[in-house]
Amino acid sequence: MEKFSRIILVLVAILILAITLPMLYWMAFEKPIKKPNVFYSCTDDDFFIQRAGTPIIFEDSKGNKYTREKFEQKLPMMNFQQLMVSGLMPDSIKGKAIDIHEVGRNRSFIRIKPEDMNCPKPKLFPMFESQSGRASLELPNDYFRITWRVEFIDAGSNKILEEKSQLFSAALYHKGFAFPAIKIEGIPTTRKSCDEGYLIVDSSNQLFHVKMIKGQPFVKKISLPEGLKFKHIACVDFKDKKYYAYLISDKDGIYILTQDEYELIKFPVTEYDAGNCELKIFGDLFNYNVTVDAEGHTDVIILNKEYKKVDSYHESWPKLSDRTEGKIFGYLFPVELLMEDRNSKYINFYWKGSGGKGWIILNLLLVAVHFLILRQREAKLKGHTVDLALVAVTGIYGFLAVHLFQNKFFD
Amino acid sequence: MNNVIECRNLTHYYGKKMVYENLNIHVMDGSILGLLGKNGAGKTTTINILNGFLQPRSGECLIYGENSQHLTPATKARIGFLIEGHIQYTFMNIHQIEKFYSGFYPNWKPAPYWELMSKLKVSPTQKISTMSCGQRSQVALGLILAQNPDLLILDDFSMGLDPGYRRLFIDYLREYAKSENKTIFTTSHIIQDMERLIDDVLIMDYNRVLAQCPISEFMTTFKRFDFELENDQVNLKKEPFVRNLEMVKNKVELYTYESKEFVQKFLENNSVGHKGFKQVKMELEDAFIGLTGKY
Amino acid sequence: MWKSIVYKEWLKIRWFLIGFTTLGIVGIGYLFLKVQHGFTFNGGSGFWYNILFMGFQFFGYFKYFPLFGGLLIGVAQYFPETINKRIKLTFHLPLKENNVLLMMHAFGVVCLLISFLLLLGMFVTMSNFYFPSQMVYDSVVSVIPWFLAGLVAYFFVALIVLEPVWMYRFFYTLVAGFFADIYIKSPVIAAYGPAIPGLFVLTILMSVALLFSAYRFRKGEM
Repeated sequence: MEKFSRIILVLVAILILAITLPMLYWMAFEKPIKKPNVFYSCTDDDFFIQRAGTPIIFEDSKGNKYTREKFEQKLPMMNFQQLMVSGLMPDSIKGKAIDIHEVGRNRSFIRIKPEDMNCPKPKLFPMFESQSGRASLELPNDYFRITWRVEFIDAGSNKILEEKSQLFSAALYHKGFAFPAIKIEGIPTTRKSCDEGYLIVDSSNQLFHVKMIKGQPFVKKISLPEGLKFKHIACVDFKDKKYYAYLISDKDGIYILTQDEYELIKFPVTEYDAGNCELKIFGDLFNYNVTVDAEGHTDVIILNKEYKKVDSYHESWPKLSDRTEGKIFGYLFPVELLMEDRNSKYINFYWKGSGGKGWIILNLLLVAVHFLILRQREAKLKGHTVDLALVAVTGIYGFLAVHLFQNKFFD
Repeated sequence: MNNVIECRNLTHYYGKKMVYENLNIHVMDGSILGLLGKNGAGKTTTINILNGFLQPRSGECLIYGENSQHLTPATKARIGFLIEGHIQYTFMNIHQIEKFYSGFYPNWKPAPYWELMSKLKVSPTQKISTMSCGQRSQVALGLILAQNPDLLILDDFSMGLDPGYRRLFIDYLREYAKSENKTIFTTSHIIQDMERLIDDVLIMDYNRVLAQCPISEFMTTFKRFDFELENDQVNLKKEPFVRNLEMVKNKVELYTYESKEFVQKFLENNSVGHKGFKQVKMELEDAFIGLTGKY
Repeated sequence: MWKSIVYKEWLKIRWFLIGFTTLGIVGIGYLFLKVQHGFTFNGGSGFWYNILFMGFQFFGYFKYFPLFGGLLIGVAQYFPETINKRIKLTFHLPLKENNVLLMMHAFGVVCLLISFLLLLGMFVTMSNFYFPSQMVYDSVVSVIPWFLAGLVAYFFVALIVLEPVWMYRFFYTLVAGFFADIYIKSPVIAAYGPAIPGLFVLTILMSVALLFSAYRFRKGEM
C-alpha cells in the first residue's frame, strides 16, 4: 500500500514537472517570432509586406523598400482614412471613380480563431425584436433555449413563457426543425446596426434562420448541399448588408451566406485548417483578402468580388520546434503537458510531443545516472525496476520525481 | 521462562554516527528490565525500534515472537506504551480520552485509571493540555494501567514526577507487575529509586553497552574503592581491571568488578604507595555514575 | 474500534468543520442577497446577460473557499498528531497502521464531502431560483474543480504534515502548490468540462498519498 501511494506521488510529480519545467523553459528561452503583415494592393495588383523591427520594414513582394507614406499609398482601401487626412487619396483606381462612402461601406473585417470554435458556448440567447420601429435595439426580458422545443424564459421570474414558447416551437416544427438545436449563432448584443436573429443548426444538421418580427416568429430553412455540416458560424453585421454570416464547414471550407437569397458561396481557399489556423478576411471595394496564419507560415489568398481567386502569397518561417530553443527543448523533454491550449478555451490535459527525438539520449543518460546512484547506495535493483522504467520513459521528469519521493523501502 | 523481548544483533547508525553495534537484549516473561543511560546514549532509539518507529540498520527485535517492525494488532494490544514525556492527546479531557482508548482494548479495566484521576483535582471538562506536567504523566500512566497490557514499555516514565510520587509509583508498579505477572521494559536517565523497581539492568553509553545483568549481580560485583595516592602522578586508568577512575588531586575513586583482595594485591605488587584504602558501599545511582563517568 | 477513531477525529475537527460550513452558508447567503439586489436594481435580464455573454461569474468569490476548507480540516486533523510525534500513539493502537490512517482519512474526507455537498446543494438550490438549468449546470461545472481542489488540499496537508523531514515537506509543498493550481485555472465559465473526469481520477488517487509519509515516519526517516 505504501509502495502504491509512492507510485501515485511519483506520477503526480511527473505530471506537475511536465507542466512546470517546460513552462519555465519557454519563459526563459523562447524568442518572439516576427510574423509579416501581408497586404494586397488594388493599385499595383501585388503584395505589400510590413515587417516588425526597428525600424519597421515596408516592402513589396520583390523586396523593394518603401517609406511608410509610399507604402500606405499603395494600399488605399486599407488606409483611406489616413490618405484622406493627408490629401493623398486617389480620385480613381483602375478607372473607377472613388466614392469615399462607398469605400467605407464595402469595408469588412472578420477574424476567426480556433478557440472561437473550441470554447464553452452559452445555451440561452435573447431574441431581439427585429422590426420594433425604434432606432435602437432593446434587450428583451426573456431568453430562449432550444431543447425538445423552443422555450422562452423570463429573466425576472425564471419562469417559462408558455405562449411565446409554443408559438416559436410550432413555427420551427412546421418548417421541419429537428429538436434540439446543436448550434445557435447570432450577435447577441444591442450594439449592432440591426437585428437579423439567429442561424440555428438542428440535430439533423439542417440550417435555419430564425428571428422575431413584430412579436411573430420568422423561420427560414436554408437549403444546403447534401452532407454539408458546419463546425462554426460567425454572424456578421457589415455595412454592405450583403450577407449574414461566414460559415466554416466540418471540412474547413469557408462559406458566406448571402442575405435575402440565402445563397451559400464557397471561397476557393484550400489552405485553411480551422483547428490550428487563424483566419482573417478583409473585404474592400475590389477584393476579399483572406489571410490564413498557421504556426510556421502564412497564406494570403486574394479573391475578387465574384469570389474568384486572383492571386496568392505564401511565406514560411521556422516553426518553434525547428528553431534553436525548440531543438534544445527536444533534447531535454520528451513531452510537455499543458492545461490550457492556444487553440481552445477549454481546460484539459493537452499532451504535446517535444518535437525531437534527442530526449531519448538524455533519458538513457539519466537511467545510467540513476543506476549508478543505486549502485553507490548498494540498493537491490529489484525494488527499483519501476523507477528505472519511469526514468527511461519520462526522462528528466521521472528522474526528479523518483528522487523527490524517495524509494526507501526496507523489507 | 520465555523471552518476551528478544533483540538480536541490533545495529543502528544515524547517518555515519553509530548508536550501537550488535546489541542483544532479552527480557524474560515477568521480569523488569531497566535500560539506563545518559541522555543521547540510545535509549529512545531502542524504544523506537521496539515499537516499530525505526528500522534498525541490521538485526531484529522480536516481541512475543513477532518482528517489532510488523507487530500484529493482537500483539500491539498486549503492549502498553508510554512515550517519553508522557505524550497523550492533550486536546481531550480525562473522560474523552478514557472513552477513546476503551474502545480498542477488550480487557480494558478502568478502575486504576479512575483511582489515579480522583487524586488529580482536575475538573471533568478540563483539557489535558491545561494540566500540569505531573498531572499529565498520571493520565498517561493511568491509561496504560487501564489497558491492562502484558508488557509495559515505559520510556522515561519518571520524568516530571515529584520525588514522593515517583517513589510511590515505583512501589506500586513493582507490586502490580509482580502480582499480575507483567513484564516491564523501562528506560530512565533518573536512576534514583530504580533499584526498587528493576530486576535486570542494561547500562548504555554512547555506542556501547557497559553492563547487562541482573541488578543484584551488578550491585554485588561492581565495587568502588577509595584511597589516597602518595604519588599523584601514578596513572591507574589504563589498567585492564579498572572500569573507571575519578581522581581529585591524590584522592582516588576506583570502580571495578574485581575483588578487594585483587585490587590491594595489585597495588602492592606494583608498589603503588597509598593509604586509607576502603571499599565504599554504593546505591544504584552511585554505581551508574561510577560506571558511566561524570561527564 | 472505528467508533473510537471517529470520536477522536471528530473532537479534533468539529469546531473547524462547523465554523467552515457556517461561514460557507453565510457566504452563499450573502452571494444570493447580492444577486437579489442586482435583480431588483438592474433587472434579471441584464444580470443574465452579464453571465451569459460578458463572462461574469457571480460566484467568483468562492474560488478559493473549498481549498481553504481542505487546508483547514487537514491542519486541524493532522497537526495535533505531529505535536511531539503523537502519531506514535495512533500507530500503537491495536490496528494495522495503514488501516488506522485510512480510517482517519476516510472520516476527514466524509466530513469535508458532507460540508461541500451541503454548500454545493445550497448553491444549486438557490441558483435554480434565479437561473435556468443550463446556466446552473455551467456554474456547477465551473465550481466542481474548486471543490476537488479542496479535497486535494486536504490530501496534501496530510502528506506534508506527516512527512518527518523538513526538506521534503518543502518539496511536497511545492508540488502541492502546482498541483492545486491545475484545479483553479480558467475564469471562463464551464471551461473545465473536458478536464473534470481526469481531475476526478487524480483526486481519488491522491487520497492514499499520506500512507507514504506515514511509512517514512514509521521507518525512522529524519
